[in-house]
Amino acid sequence: MISSNQLRFSYSAQKKFSFPDIHCNDKETLLILGQSGKGKTTLLHLLALLLTPESGEVVIAGKSVKNLTPQEITVTRAKNIGIIYQRPHFVSSLSVLDNILLSNYLANQKEDHQKARQLAEQLGFADHLSKKTNQLSQGEQQRVSIARSLMNNPNIILADEPTSNLDDDNCQRVIQLLKKQSAQIGASLVVVTHDQRLKDEFSNQVFL
Amino acid sequence: MNLFKISIANLREKKLNSFLSALLLTLGIGMISLLLLLNKQLDEQFKRNLKGIDMVVGAKGSPLQVILSSIYQIDAPTGNIPLAEVNALRKNPFVKTVIPLSMGDNYQGFRILGTTPKYTEHFKAKLAEGHLYNASMEVTIGSKVARDSKLKIGDQFSGSHGLDSEGEKHEDKKYKVVGIFQPSGTVVDQLIITRLSSVWDIHEHSEGAEAPEVAEVEHADGQIHTDPEPDEEGKNVTSALIQFRNPMGLMTIPRQINDNTSMQAALPSIEINRLFSLLGVGIETLRTLALIIISIAGVSVFISLYNSLKDRKYEMALMLSMGATRTRLFLMLLIEGLSLAVIGFFVGIIASRIGLWVFSKSAEQDFHYSLGKFALLPEEIYLFFGALAIGVVAAALPSLGIYRLNISRTLAEE
Repeated sequence: MISSNQLRFSYSAQKKFSFPDIHCNDKETLLILGQSGKGKTTLLHLLALLLTPESGEVVIAGKSVKNLTPQEITVTRAKNIGIIYQRPHFVSSLSVLDNILLSNYLANQKEDHQKARQLAEQLGFADHLSKKTNQLSQGEQQRVSIARSLMNNPNIILADEPTSNLDDDNCQRVIQLLKKQSAQIGASLVVVTHDQRLKDEFSNQVFL
Repeated sequence: MNLFKISIANLREKKLNSFLSALLLTLGIGMISLLLLLNKQLDEQFKRNLKGIDMVVGAKGSPLQVILSSIYQIDAPTGNIPLAEVNALRKNPFVKTVIPLSMGDNYQGFRILGTTPKYTEHFKAKLAEGHLYNASMEVTIGSKVARDSKLKIGDQFSGSHGLDSEGEKHEDKKYKVVGIFQPSGTVVDQLIITRLSSVWDIHEHSEGAEAPEVAEVEHADGQIHTDPEPDEEGKNVTSALIQFRNPMGLMTIPRQINDNTSMQAALPSIEINRLFSLLGVGIETLRTLALIIISIAGVSVFISLYNSLKDRKYEMALMLSMGATRTRLFLMLLIEGLSLAVIGFFVGIIASRIGLWVFSKSAEQDFHYSLGKFALLPEEIYLFFGALAIGVVAAALPSLGIYRLNISRTLAEE
């Protein structure tokens, strides 16, 4: 479960954002739609605890993160939040499998090879596990990053424009997989996008 | 998964950069290590053979040449001196021992040295087999001579005139091997040692057997002159090694000899220091060059990590967002620098051993000296820590950027 309360953030005196409150329960989905420059990525980074808000607070799994130290924030993020970025990025020197397992390693969890293989089967890239990530197509890469975000069974999955670089087929496939996987582990799924194709896929929507 | 694995994967990802950095380190370390090895072994060889010899007397000429030919057997002698004058030195109260040397022949490039038993006593040469030469034309051979020439006890051979194996053979008179010395690490290993009288006999005989004009040509280089008078007083030797009873001898005797006799006195300590200071210029230059190469290696590690960090900024931000601490990533980058340093060090050490081996081969061919000690030197342990320090510093400087990386901005920019 994730919710925010009167979040404000400013990069400079001219560039200020104040965001509508959001709320997404476990097993629920939320679509945040907005045009470029409306602060979509800023909001996602605030929710992902990558940025600290000027005022307001974020509540993760029922706990406010307002007064946590940077280390506690890092631990909370690694344990509770899986993030999927617009352009899938990986550690390019590692194989697909190692990139997925990296989630476990960096969050100090046990490396779950079985889960990695299982996710690869479900997301349809089981044949590519030993390849380097740059040998995969965009759609495949996005599916790998979904698998990576799921490895620690997060409480919340945040996706930043997960479909904007994909064609219609891949877009559908990725969004269905995201919904299915987050439902499977009982996580909240928050998608931030300007991609109008996703409008009909989500019942809960917030406009920036 | 661990940091080490990720670091190595990163190094392998940038194969050429890593190769260049490791190669430069290898070159620098290898050069320094080779210099250390050569310096140490040459020094040892020189010191060991020098021990206890205070002065060498020989014919007038280059004093360094007298030392090199008489102690180390690597240069041609300057000429001959009368044995009578050498023996006269024995009467000087400051002189403890006088070891006359007579050379001029060789067998397969190994010098045949006529001397007194004091010579082998001085070098503490012990017999491995057989006995010490007794009669004229009997020889005891050094361990390396035995190994390389395959001479065994009881074998007979004829020496060739001069100091290289191309010389004319003294076919009519043969030496007989009666003993073999144990390896001692001194010049004895590469010598064929016999009585002084053998050297006289062989040249007398050849002169008697052949026409006089041939004999004259044969000895035109003036190495061993044969005197028609067989008595010792009229004999010549090549040089003599002198030991003093006390340091006072050093003050007076060399001057006396140089002023009052046909001989010249050379002091090994002075000449060898001169030689080493001449060599030292070359060694110093090479060492400086090696240090420059090592510094360039450090810069190369720095640049390649700096560049790859720029490329991998997003990766770093990503790993930070996935729960990595900055210190952990910093360590990961340090390991990359350290791995290169360790690889460079060990390949460099191996390369220096190969270099020494090659050098030793050629030194053995030219001078019969072998430099076959490949063990790790204590200085090389310091070299190891030096290499690690370079790896750490070169990796740490660019990697400190990790602590300033803005995760959100980096992730948002791409």
